[in-house]
Amino acid sequence: MNTSLPRLIDGMIATLRQEVIPNLQGDFARGQAYGLIYMLNSIRLRASWSNEFLGEQLRALDEAAQALSALAPQLPGAPPPPAIVARPLPSAAELEAQRDAGDKAICDLIDWLGAHRASAPAAVVAEADAAIARYIQRQLKWELTTSAKPMFEEMSRGSD
Amino acid sequence: MNDVDALRERLANYLSARSGRPVVVRELVKFPVGFSWITYGVRLQENGAEHDLILRLGPPYGLFAPYSALPEYETLKALEGSGACAPRAYDASDDPSILGAPFFMCERVEGSAPVPWSGRDSRAMDDARRTDLANDFIDALASLHTFDWRRSGLAPWGACVTPENAAARQIAFWREKHERWALRPHPMAHRAFAWLEDNQPVAPRVAIVHGDYRLGNFLEQNGRITAILDWELVHLADPVEDLGWAFLPQYRGGTGLVCGLAKEEEFLARYEAGAGFTVDRKALRFYLVFSLLKLALTHMAAARCFEDGRFNDMRMPAMATQIAPVLRQIEKTLGAAA
Repeated sequence: MNTSLPRLIDGMIATLRQEVIPNLQGDFARGQAYGLIYMLNSIRLRASWSNEFLGEQLRALDEAAQALSALAPQLPGAPPPPAIVARPLPSAAELEAQRDAGDKAICDLIDWLGAHRASAPAAVVAEADAAIARYIQRQLKWELTTSAKPMFEEMSRGSD
Repeated sequence: MNDVDALRERLANYLSARSGRPVVVRELVKFPVGFSWITYGVRLQENGAEHDLILRLGPPYGLFAPYSALPEYETLKALEGSGACAPRAYDASDDPSILGAPFFMCERVEGSAPVPWSGRDSRAMDDARRTDLANDFIDALASLHTFDWRRSGLAPWGACVTPENAAARQIAFWREKHERWALRPHPMAHRAFAWLEDNQPVAPRVAIVHGDYRLGNFLEQNGRITAILDWELVHLADPVEDLGWAFLPQYRGGTGLVCGLAKEEEFLARYEAGAGFTVDRKALRFYLVFSLLKLALTHMAAARCFEDGRFNDMRMPAMATQIAPVLRQIEKTLGAAA
């Protein structure tokens, strides 16, 4: 991909709005097209080209840099080779799995506290509740900050 | 042959066989409304005359699949002749060999459904029209909640439902849905379930609960409600459950009014007079939290059916984006209650 992801999405949305939707027949089909726009807006706020996609390019650059560095002394005055040391980057899937495992542990603790509230030390339970509440607030606030404006009206009517 | 043509042919064959004379499906138009059942407007020609009806299909890939058309059908049949503001049910079956999915047919009632999401329809109303609609909306709900279901075909539904267990049964019902639909762990959903378990009210009575009573699920014509629609979640439970759902902020469209129609206390005063009991405000708060959780779970259902590849309707991933905002509302509501 040679365009930025946000610009690509903006272009897709503009094409849908200006070229596709005016020529669609039926409220349902137009509503679906507005759904596409909404989802593209949502992707725009959270997505980037993947670590896997960029990581392979860095590894290739690394290999080239090592080969070119070995040759550099024999090419006086030539621009220096790229200084790349490709680091292993976690994939989005690995990060998502880590988050889900953490959330599962929090959920299990919430369920346990619900069942043992009466027998556990009240002050400790209150502290645990507060820590969980702070985590939930932060998690949800971030999700909302990175959410697009809903378009249910347009999707239901098939018009804006 | 596309899906609509195939459905047209199956429908004509079924209706012709049922009536014993040729029935032609003149029109079959898919409506963009609803997030679960697929709704079609149908125009039939039979015996030289044309008439309209509504066909609803519960597709195997749908939001709440697998579906049964029978609760909605049996309820509307039970309410027929009672003066309830509901369309007449004509036919229903869960046999997928007939139309490819469970189906339900009912009268096509005149009117249009206000769209709840932005409040545009609510703000466009003048006060007189809003008052008339509010009165109809509240009175229809009170009437439903005073309907004597024990003397109807719905009596068998009530074998196990009591005022004491109505809330617990609903918590258990939706907890099972949560386990089935959630694609990832949601700590706030677990907190909400724990709070609901600890704060269950006793119902003032066991009543027919519509289950999705809100702006957008009724038809209006000339400022009056002509029919309450979308009975797919109907069940017997605490009538305050319907109030909790109708009071959701999602259906206020930014107007601050319940379903964009009435102030909370005015709504409750008229409802209480019609339903014949005083609404326990703590029970109402319980059912508001319950309804928010139910809404979040509905969004999880949308995420699940899209993720499983059952349904490519773009409204499904769009609904899925609303899980976090609704969970945030629960968090705030519980914080305010503490």
